[in-house]
This record gives sequence, structure tokens and C-alpha cells, in this order.
Amino acid sequence: MAVEENSFLLTTVDALVNWSRANSLWPLAFGTSCCAIEMMMASTAARHDIARFGAEVVRPSPRQADLLIVAGTIVKRMASRLKRLYEQMPEPRYVMATGSCTIAGGPFYYNSYTTVRGIDEIIPVDVFVPGCPPRPEGLFYGLLVLQRMIKEGESVAQPGVRRKPVMAALPPAMTLKDIQKEIAALLVERSEVKTRGVSPNRIWEERA
Amino acid sequence: MSEREATIFSLIQSCCSEVILNEGSGSFSIQVPSEKLVFVMEHLKKSESLAFVMLLDHLAVDWKEMGEFELVYQLYSFKLDQRIEVTTKIPRAIPNAHSVSRIWPIAEWQEREVYDLFGIYYINHPDLRRLFLEDDWKGFPLRKDYEDPFMLELVKE
Repeated sequence: MAVEENSFLLTTVDALVNWSRANSLWPLAFGTSCCAIEMMMASTAARHDIARFGAEVVRPSPRQADLLIVAGTIVKRMASRLKRLYEQMPEPRYVMATGSCTIAGGPFYYNSYTTVRGIDEIIPVDVFVPGCPPRPEGLFYGLLVLQRMIKEGESVAQPGVRRKPVMAALPPAMTLKDIQKEIAALLVERSEVKTRGVSPNRIWEERA
Repeated sequence: MSEREATIFSLIQSCCSEVILNEGSGSFSIQVPSEKLVFVMEHLKKSESLAFVMLLDHLAVDWKEMGEFELVYQLYSFKLDQRIEVTTKIPRAIPNAHSVSRIWPIAEWQEREVYDLFGIYYINHPDLRRLFLEDDWKGFPLRKDYEDPFMLELVKE
């Protein structure tokens, strides 16, 4: 009986903790090339406002950041610095790889003596956002996928156990209006704490 | 070549007769023998009638077939509102050149970059280290015969 009680409590805490984690992702101010310009435009400018998703508090220190948006080409010399930044971030930490360069080396795949072919060679990645660079909507789509992943995935009892990396590609033939509509719907839908049907540890529900 | 460029060229030739004009380069470009480079550069900057006080850029070209490196210096004179391109050729086997960092201090960085990527050793350079690549990097990547097992070749069918 004691176990059942514990598991009941833990699942509700999971949902609450994951909800708060998903809605207050603090990104690290880190960017290396053109994707970073696009990311800055998405995160700080008024038109595409990342504050709607609770991820606008860009931190200059890795010790205060939760989310590492790797925006831009990573070369061999930057690789060790990137790894160090990742290691300095406190747990739980999430990584988004935006753009073709960070996913697979992009246009520098062939005949390049410096470019790292995909940052998953260096650090673990949660969400890949394709594009060259990705549109702000693409970045937001990746962020929403990450939020969904956080809400459904990790539990307090098993920290660090996550889902496999997700490729957050926008579905083809989607227009800007579709994306805006979907984002608006998701914003309404995902702004609530759902204690039922969200957490994977549903032992208590089956027993009841 | 315009009239003004012709007068500038004759002024340069009066200090060093071995200077020749690079024909067909599209811009005002002269070629200097490598042992006279520092002397000519000093004249170009310090002469009151020329006053090329700004070193815009410095780069190198690897002519592998001819067995030589071509060093290119882009200069600018505020006084004349005139650009000039100074080139010099050094043998590929002994890639040594004299540094112009005492004339233009910015050349210190530009020469470090060229050393980093082409492996040209500048004599009298105050701090000749790698700039972009790691200190323990082997080889010079922009040379035509550079080989690196890390690099992937695109195989065209």
C-alpha cells in the first residue's frame, strides 16, 4: 500500500513539475552564425515573440539557463567550448539544434576541414529543428515539441530518462496562417495543468 | 591605367626600378621582388606624395603548378583617394617573407591569419602564432596539397 501511495503522489508532482519546467525554459544566449540572427529576431523582436511560450528570459550565464539553442555552425574549435557550456548548465537541461549545420554539417559537410558534422557528436540533443536557417515559426514549432516532450517525458523519480531526439520539421504545404492558428490553439491547450492522461506512470489510475 | 595611376607608378619606380605593373588584373596592381618588399612598402607609406597609410587587407594565393605563393597587399591612400594592390612572389619550397607589421601594426593580425592558413613564415613578426585553428593543428588547410583524413570528398558521378 505504501508503494501505491507514493506512486500516486509522484505522478501528480511529475505533472506539476514538468508543466512548470516546460513553461519557463530559459535559453542561453549562445549563437554562432546566421541561425543566431534568426533566433534573436524570433526571441527578442516584437513580431515573433518567444515570451508567449515562457522562454524569453535569455541568460548570459550557462549556470542560470535551462535550454541551449545551438544556432549556427559548430567548428572543431568551438566544439570543446560548446561541450563546456553544456556541462556548466544545471540539470535538467534541454538542447535544441536549429539549422542544417548543427544537424549534420549542412553545406559544409564535404571538403571542410573544421565543421563538426552534427552536434549530436558532442552533446545529446532533444529536438532538431531543420531549416537553413529555420523560420521563427519553425523555431517555435521546435519549442512546442520540446515542451510537449518535457510534459510527457521525464519523471522526478527517474531524472535524466528522456525520449529519443525529435525532428521537429514543419509539415509540408503549411502556410503561415496555418502555423499561427496551430500555435494559438496549442497555446490555449497547453497552458493548463493536466493531471490525467499525461504522465506515463499511471499505476494509480489503473488500480482505482 | 589612368593618368594619376601612371604618375603614382612613376613615383614608385623612381625609388625601386624593379617594380613592374601587373597587366590585366583589372585594378591598379604592381609587383615587387620579395627582397625589396619592405623597402617599397615603407616608401609607399612614408612618402608625402603617396601616403598609403592604410593596409586594407593582406592575403595569399597558392600557385601550386608554378611552385610559388603570391602575397597580395591592398593599400589605400586617403590623400589621393586611391587604392593600390602590391603583390610579391615567393618560392613554395621556402615560404619565407618579410613582415610589414612594423610599418602597419594591423599587419600583425593579417599575417598571423595568412600564416595560419597558408603557412607562410614572416621574418621579424613579433608574435607568429596560429589565429583561427588550434595551436596543435598540423598542416595549413588552404594550401592546394593539404590533406586531412577528417575531410570528406564529394564523389561526383
